[in-house]
Amino acid sequence: MNSSDQEDLRLLRESARTLFDRAGGSGRARKLRDAGGGWDGNMIRELAEAGVFGVTVPEDNGGLGMGLAAGGVIAEEVGRVIAPEPVVVTIGLSLGLLRRLCPDHAKMEQLVGGETVLAVAWLERGPNGGPAEASCRYADGKLTGGKAWVVGASDAQGFLVVAEGDAGPVVVLAEAGADGLSVEERRQADGSAMGELSFSGTPAEELAIGGAVPGALAEAVKDATALAAAELVGLSARAFEIALEYIKTREQFDKPIGSFQVIQHRAVDLNVMCEVAQSGVREALALMDSETDPKARARLASRAKARAVTAAKKVTRDAIQLHGAVGYTDEFDIGLYLNRALVLSAWLGDDAYHRRIWFEAREEEAAQ
Amino acid sequence: MTDWNAMSDAEFRKEVRDFFEAEYPEELRHLPHRPKFAEIEHWHRKLHAKGWVAPAWPTEYGGMGLNAAKLLIFYEEQQRWGVNRGRDMGIQMVGPLIIKFGTQEQKDYWLPRILSCEDIWCQGYSEPGAGSDLANLRTRAEIEGDEFVINGQKIWTTMAHDATHIFMLVRTDPDTPKKQQGISFLLAPMDQPGVEVRTITTLSGETEFCEVFFDNARTPRENLVGELNKGWTMAKALLSFERIFIGSPSLAQNALGQLENFARGRGAFEDPVFRDRFAQAALDVEDHAALYGRFADQLKRGETLGADVSMLKIWVTECFQRITELMIEAAGADGGTIGPLQVGNVSVDVLASFYKARPTTIYGGSNEIQRNILSKAVLGLPS
Repeated sequence: MNSSDQEDLRLLRESARTLFDRAGGSGRARKLRDAGGGWDGNMIRELAEAGVFGVTVPEDNGGLGMGLAAGGVIAEEVGRVIAPEPVVVTIGLSLGLLRRLCPDHAKMEQLVGGETVLAVAWLERGPNGGPAEASCRYADGKLTGGKAWVVGASDAQGFLVVAEGDAGPVVVLAEAGADGLSVEERRQADGSAMGELSFSGTPAEELAIGGAVPGALAEAVKDATALAAAELVGLSARAFEIALEYIKTREQFDKPIGSFQVIQHRAVDLNVMCEVAQSGVREALALMDSETDPKARARLASRAKARAVTAAKKVTRDAIQLHGAVGYTDEFDIGLYLNRALVLSAWLGDDAYHRRIWFEAREEEAAQ
Repeated sequence: MTDWNAMSDAEFRKEVRDFFEAEYPEELRHLPHRPKFAEIEHWHRKLHAKGWVAPAWPTEYGGMGLNAAKLLIFYEEQQRWGVNRGRDMGIQMVGPLIIKFGTQEQKDYWLPRILSCEDIWCQGYSEPGAGSDLANLRTRAEIEGDEFVINGQKIWTTMAHDATHIFMLVRTDPDTPKKQQGISFLLAPMDQPGVEVRTITTLSGETEFCEVFFDNARTPRENLVGELNKGWTMAKALLSFERIFIGSPSLAQNALGQLENFARGRGAFEDPVFRDRFAQAALDVEDHAALYGRFADQLKRGETLGADVSMLKIWVTECFQRITELMIEAAGADGGTIGPLQVGNVSVDVLASFYKARPTTIYGGSNEIQRNILSKAVLGLPS
């Protein structure tokens, strides 16, 4: 990456940070959670005006054309203030899917412009509660079946659903509130909801069909995985700052607890963990921008998410310990970071899962 | 004379790589022990003829004059090809100190002898009571006429039994308010009746560390480098580049490569638990390399490195240890066997790697000391 690119990223980071700070930082996340979860429509419009959603969309399609590394910069800032807006979902999944399959569709422009928010539904739940083979069908313009683990399902204006059509896999658009669509909310640790969708003859518009669909979906999921990693990097960095500030001010035995060596060494380890995660994840995203081989992109996305989850789990959990009893209350912001880390870690696979994917992708690359 | 710094990084890297690959003796690649000079003398002669013995020294003193960025490339290529650093205490420690603080006479006399390895140096810093707390050192040097008379003991003096000279930190004023004051930097010949060297056998059975005893040993007064009682600040000034070098990814990367070859040969990857632990270690190395790249970029932009560079050493040495521990696990019942283990057409000395990794968290400022430094200087935590 050359220095003018670096300068562009720095400016992007500054403008995203300013925007979130002006809106109220992490305090805003608490208010939205207490109001029932969900996001702020005004914030969506402001983010759109700043060009956030179109960051990886080519300039010809109304985006900034900057790539995943730039998307990661924004995601880190989202993570720092644990903003509930579906930035990673929109950049990584919705636009990741549409820009690969139907870049001229009107929804592209609406998503980039913040006029609409879509949720993406592709996973299904089996009888034992775990993931299952997809069985959701699309025929005669109607969806039948179900989808699970849909982020943003409660507030999205529509759903991009990946289903099996008569002539192969399809991506279709179902409007929120469409006939025969029901959304069951599953409340998450951070106050957000994941949706379980069920369709019984739900009308939907076909956006793409055929062999390109699975590949586009896989790449969009990798984008979102890498961006979620960046979000966790920002979250971890801020959680560490909060803990550091706390151990400098909290006094016991007539001294700040941060003067005790055992606390100091733990703080250093968290700091090192944050720095390694930041460098590793940023490098992985930058490499994904110049990589077209699907296996290499899978390896890089998994490298990013594995590292980010490992770091975020360690940092947020140790941060609670460093806070002592107040860390276990809902009064202190550090708990919001722990809860958001839980949700972001589980979404799209945790560190153990991604180390497995990383290893498999690496083996397959070596065998190519 | 070639201006190496004017080359592009890629050109320079190729130049260095080509030379090592063509000229470095195969039997000396990735030496598991520190060699005596006689073992690597033929390589040193080649390097000397090429003018590459002292990459960091200014050209006017016979060095290559590399800037920090090029120097990093030089060392990366050296480690990549498994090129032994040779007996480089003179090059790395004494030379730069004399260049920075020495008199013209000292430069004229000592520097050429360091380059040619006519003099071979060892470092006398640590003492039994002065390890992490180095400023606690007690070895005394007192002026008597034209000489310093030295009494005391140094320890962990690497390869002292194969050195002609020692550079040392000695106490020249025992009555100072702070123990960092009153320390001087002194050069002394080893071949004299007042100097006795005893080797220390390490856990791996090597004898590269020594104790050095001084009993009225003598060195001429002109062998004081810099001002009397100012040795502590001088010695500290040398450490800034070492702090990124000691955190370089290469040791862990080489060990990871060995682990992978060995584990594959032994079928260890069939075990999903082992696969996961390997993946953890490999990702620890990759992400560390990314962080190292960030610090290296700082150097390339001409910035000085802050105390935060210490985090590289903490992470990579602990990672190196985990990798060598995994090698032992993969070796199964052979995990306690001395010497190379044959797997297919590769042989891996798992115990040698394990032992090599142990002191890395101790030397160069133990990892606990590094954490103390980071907590104060980077995180701003109170005393």
